[in-house]
Amino acid sequence: MVAAKVEAGAAGHGAEPRGKRSDDGQATYLIAIAEALWEEMERDERVFLLGEDIGVYGGAFKVTEGFLDHFGANRVMDTPIAEETIVGVAVGAAMEGLRPVAEFQYADFMTSGFDEITTTLARYHYRTGVRLPVVLRAPSGGGVRASNFHSTNPEPWFAHTPGLKVVCPAFPSDAKGLLKSAVRDDNPVVYLEHKWIYRRIKEQVSEDPEHLIPLGSANVRREGTDVSVITYGAMVHKSLEAADNLAARGVSAEIVDLRSIVPLDEETVLTSIAKTSRALVVYESQRFLGVGAEVAAMIAEKAFEHLDAPVERLAPPNTPVPFSPPLEDAYLPQVTDIEAAIERVSAW
Amino acid sequence: VATKVDKKKTHDGRPLPDDRLRDMLHMLKLCRYFDERMEALYRQGRLPGAIYSGRGQEGTHVGVAFALEQRDSLFPTHRDLSAQLAKGLDLERVMAQFWGRVDGYLRGRDGNSHIGDWEGNRTFAVISHLPIAYPVACGAATAYQKAGDGRVAMAICGDGSTSNGRWHEALNWSAVHQLPVVWVVNNNQFAYSTPNTLEFRVPTIAERASAYGMPGVRVDGGDVLEVFEAARAAVTRARSGEGPTLIESVSLRWRGHAGHDPATYMPAEMLERYMAEKDPVKNFEAWMVTEGLVTEDDIGALEQRIAGEFDAGYEFAQASPFPEAADVTRGLWAEDGYWDAPAPRGGGTEAG
Repeated sequence: MVAAKVEAGAAGHGAEPRGKRSDDGQATYLIAIAEALWEEMERDERVFLLGEDIGVYGGAFKVTEGFLDHFGANRVMDTPIAEETIVGVAVGAAMEGLRPVAEFQYADFMTSGFDEITTTLARYHYRTGVRLPVVLRAPSGGGVRASNFHSTNPEPWFAHTPGLKVVCPAFPSDAKGLLKSAVRDDNPVVYLEHKWIYRRIKEQVSEDPEHLIPLGSANVRREGTDVSVITYGAMVHKSLEAADNLAARGVSAEIVDLRSIVPLDEETVLTSIAKTSRALVVYESQRFLGVGAEVAAMIAEKAFEHLDAPVERLAPPNTPVPFSPPLEDAYLPQVTDIEAAIERVSAW
Repeated sequence: VATKVDKKKTHDGRPLPDDRLRDMLHMLKLCRYFDERMEALYRQGRLPGAIYSGRGQEGTHVGVAFALEQRDSLFPTHRDLSAQLAKGLDLERVMAQFWGRVDGYLRGRDGNSHIGDWEGNRTFAVISHLPIAYPVACGAATAYQKAGDGRVAMAICGDGSTSNGRWHEALNWSAVHQLPVVWVVNNNQFAYSTPNTLEFRVPTIAERASAYGMPGVRVDGGDVLEVFEAARAAVTRARSGEGPTLIESVSLRWRGHAGHDPATYMPAEMLERYMAEKDPVKNFEAWMVTEGLVTEDDIGALEQRIAGEFDAGYEFAQASPFPEAADVTRGLWAEDGYWDAPAPRGGGTEAG
């Protein structure tokens, strides 16, 4: 009996294969991430992967599909469901000169390894000088009807922990270049993939094995003159759509994709503000004490003389991520919300 | 349930060559003396920060550390400074750490027995959240297993740690992957003020090993040689690829959890009995005399040597400069170079 084809679940996981680049060289975000891991493992035998269901099953989202067959169980470790120990093993292996890349099945489950991440991994170099080149990969973010425990954006927790670099790519090319840089970095890096982007966004991605995007470098994704929209992750795509819609109505929005939260590229943000004199920060983690609060405060401190309007933040409320579609849609900033916010800020 | 200790007495019927036994006596007495003198300085207000006495547990600490080679790694707790000293840490640099000076192993970034010397002696810099180092020991052991280099990781925790999820995660993981690791539980019978009876229901910690699929042994922490032989057997087992072992070494914490704690919850007769019958330092010293390996005169000379070592360490620490305040933000990132160069020494020796 032939098994019925299993559709990918709403959260994007399931038995659906990762897929391949299209004939014209376009790659999804998912494929770009897989290529980065593959290339770095080919380049440096100290790099190895560990995580739940990443070997035989190929990962909940199929990022590591085919890795076990090629690299073997010594470098692609299926682990018990023990997040503290996944991080601890990565730390101990890094102390002995390896370069582990650990996968969390969902970014939500990073709380189950939180102590080892924030207490051991983040602080060890400051305390001792011992380098810990560890990458923690995790699918984050909402918008896919994945409910409370599969939709979290944990970047503020880790950005607030000294000693961790935090990366949130929005495009396949950036995802690949940033992950390769993260693997080569001598510091711990929390690399937050966005599951809404995995299979939705496709673009030309370099096949150069030295395609590297430096950590801590933002990117002006769309030039504009009226308002700077500072954003990252899935909200970059929503903001670009909003900017397209507003262009037809005569409002010119500049979209700055932070790409990294730590280090934060202040210079690119400030250069944009100097041009537009108005700023909107759009982000997907909760509004209160979030990434946007830091960015807004930084703009207020360093670009006050350029501002023609108060800096506005657009972000989810301080609640968990709800499931039911009308609730989740109300929780997440939508394209129309971004358009309205840009218009408010530009009206000053 | 617990495996019997396999005693291999090969040196004239003794487990180690005579000079190593004398080293062991030196280390036991040094650790005891250090513990007592540091507590005195703490009570006199001459030592900043906190102290976590390991007194009464030196048999466990020295016994397990003597089973390791320098290339093996040790993941201790704040209670296990004696194990770190036995692994090879330099007393002067340890004391500089207690006084927050740049010559301490962590340049003042951490204090007291939250110490480690990874580059030199392969000891993990202690973290308070116990047993947070247990999973990390799995990671070091994973690296040794991948390299096939015969190295071993050893982690120590207390009885209190065995109630924490990470303890179970790490033991399970190490057994699943047959890692070259030795798990030591220093069962000093109290987790701060909480006795064993309020920590776990099973009669012994060692018997929990069977739940993970590894051997467990229970030894008398008052007998350093019994501890040593159990640790040596476990290390040999790990080194030869046979996987992890759990060692429960039973002693009593003679002092409070930390220097501030008078430990009035400790039953007086229990403490008196352990101090009279299970003193690992006194018992080993008596054995060494009985065996004819040291004389009373040798012991007197050894005590003088130890007092001199302590005083030299104290003087070294006081003469070592504090870290420079301007360096507070340096060393967070690998690329800033702070840890690649010698520590700046312009901080003076007077606290602000």
